[in-house]
Amino acid sequence: MTRPDEREGGHGPPSPPLPAGWRMTSLPIAVAGLLLLGGPADAAAAGAAIAPRQELVALFADRPARELPASTSRIVTRVSDTRPITGARTTLPVLARTLDAGGRLWLKVRLPGRALARRPPPATGWIRSARTLRETTRWHIVIDTHRRRLAVFRDGIRLAGYRAIVGKPSTPTPPGNYFIEENVHLYSAQAGAPFALATSARSSVLQEFAGGPGQIAIHGRAHLGGTLGTAVSHGCIRLGKAAITRLAARIGPGVPVTIS
Amino acid sequence: MTVRPRAGMSLKSLTKPLSAAPARGALLNVWLLGLSGMLALVVLVGVAWAAQPPVGLGTADSFAVLAGSTVTNTGPSTINGDLGVNPGTAITGFPPGTVNGTIHAADAVSAQAQSDLTIAYDDAAGRTPPVAVSGELGGLTVTPGVYKSSSSVGLTGVLTLDAQGDPNAVFVFQVASTLTTASGSRVKLINGAQPCNVFWQIGSSATLGTSSVFVGNILALTSISVNDAVTVNGRLLARNGAVTLINDTVTAAHCDAGTTPGGGGTTGGDTTSGDTTGTDDSTTGSDTTGTGTTGTPDGGTVAPGDGAALLTTSPRSVAKRIARYGIARTVSGRFKALVSGVLVRRVRFFVDGKAIGRQKRSPFAAFVRSGAGIHVLTARVHFTDNTPSMTLRLRYRVAADTSIALARRPRAPGGFAG
Repeated sequence: MTRPDEREGGHGPPSPPLPAGWRMTSLPIAVAGLLLLGGPADAAAAGAAIAPRQELVALFADRPARELPASTSRIVTRVSDTRPITGARTTLPVLARTLDAGGRLWLKVRLPGRALARRPPPATGWIRSARTLRETTRWHIVIDTHRRRLAVFRDGIRLAGYRAIVGKPSTPTPPGNYFIEENVHLYSAQAGAPFALATSARSSVLQEFAGGPGQIAIHGRAHLGGTLGTAVSHGCIRLGKAAITRLAARIGPGVPVTIS
Repeated sequence: MTVRPRAGMSLKSLTKPLSAAPARGALLNVWLLGLSGMLALVVLVGVAWAAQPPVGLGTADSFAVLAGSTVTNTGPSTINGDLGVNPGTAITGFPPGTVNGTIHAADAVSAQAQSDLTIAYDDAAGRTPPVAVSGELGGLTVTPGVYKSSSSVGLTGVLTLDAQGDPNAVFVFQVASTLTTASGSRVKLINGAQPCNVFWQIGSSATLGTSSVFVGNILALTSISVNDAVTVNGRLLARNGAVTLINDTVTAAHCDAGTTPGGGGTTGGDTTSGDTTGTDDSTTGSDTTGTGTTGTPDGGTVAPGDGAALLTTSPRSVAKRIARYGIARTVSGRFKALVSGVLVRRVRFFVDGKAIGRQKRSPFAAFVRSGAGIHVLTARVHFTDNTPSMTLRLRYRVAADTSIALARRPRAPGGFAG
């Protein structure tokens, strides 16, 4: 779960000042409607604005995700209320909401990525709002694989940008709209330490890698190496230690990730 | 940190602090609370511990300084008690030194005192069960009992003797070789400990560092050397060798028959020992309200009925940062609030008015967890005597986004694409 100051809800504290070392640019605050027209990836690629807020939903019980907002609709996958690596509570971005005939609230959410030895789930699905907690995040991560840079947005304002290592042509970083599934504090001996922001993206080439489902993560370079600004990874996004440490202190589960 | 000892337990293996269990004769829990490492570690061990009677000094009790060969003084030392030498005869340096007692040079009184000193020395050396100590005593807090070192012992910083409210609590230190205290070192008595009940049986010689404050009766087999400006609340008793003084103050400590449990110090016309409250530099950032006495500097007297307390933190760096910068700079949102003092009965801790802990026995501590923003830590201290309760406060500021609390350690391999 993210901290209140990271994700503002209706009763959250006021916005803290910008962290030391973070740079504010003069980009205008976006209107969410703009994103609905072109999508964040397109918007980011075009240098357009990012939505200042993203609604999230945290699951307090395993939920079936359905194709349509109805109890009779087909179940496309079942979403566990915890994440497999850290046990953190599952938090999903909310894309839409609606009421069914019985007056029950349904949420269209972005779904976690493929699990090992499981059928790949669709990108989105509908879940009931029962036993969930809705939150809001002000953060957004945008990765430009062409420029090999990662940008961090808060309240729709670009705060910082970092050079990154992205996937090489044979194992590219998959473009699309994803979210952070888990914020993992890796042990120093682990590859990619000290932190890994595990995303819902999965490699389009590697169905299995190092015992995992080919999950795309934003992590450090420990025991991996590589030069920032190059495309040499297996699909993950590698950052410098300072950058990933800074991100890990601020980015929690559910934060949208746009890869273009 | 504090350790209550059991027989045969090694303090070296436990690291710092140590303390002997109170002499109740019952099974007691053993605590090891690490504060110098800025982390608390608690170990519970059942022990059986018997009360130690004081070491009888006999006629040596009236002596503040007693030597076997010579007593040599330089400068205006003050001896509050008798001064003697036997079988040697030489006593030099008085004046300029002052003896507020009687000088016995190779007479029958000093001979009897030396004889009684031998008995007392053997008594102290034979006390059991001992707790093994070695090396450095500084930073330790010990409770009543017998502490034994098979080699030399040093003291740098503060050694705290905690009587745990028992004015008859006895501390016996058996040192096989030498005792050496560093400059500015201090022996501190708390919770009713009396210097008359502290005994240092030294198998060789003792050397007290410049400007140190020492408490207890040194029973040395050979010699005792006291450097410049040392305050001794106890006795310097050397069986065979010399006692050397340089501008020092030695006061023969006598037990106060009227002392009640929990009393902060001794009386009986003596200058009391280093009982201590409010001397920590980390307290400067706290506000104190109430009428309680805030304590005395090293070696000061704490009169019965004068409770005192100070509020600090663990790690100390938090309190020091608050003291130095107030809320102009931020501190970690996680630390331990700590109240130390004398005659403290119970402490209640609050953060921003919300109760976070309550302690009825030492250590009076509570863990503090604060989010971003300005907070006020409050400790409401009640005393065992009629000292009015006091409220201690620390106002601090915690920065936003200073932690990595969002991240969690993996419970399963990630298997990222890399």
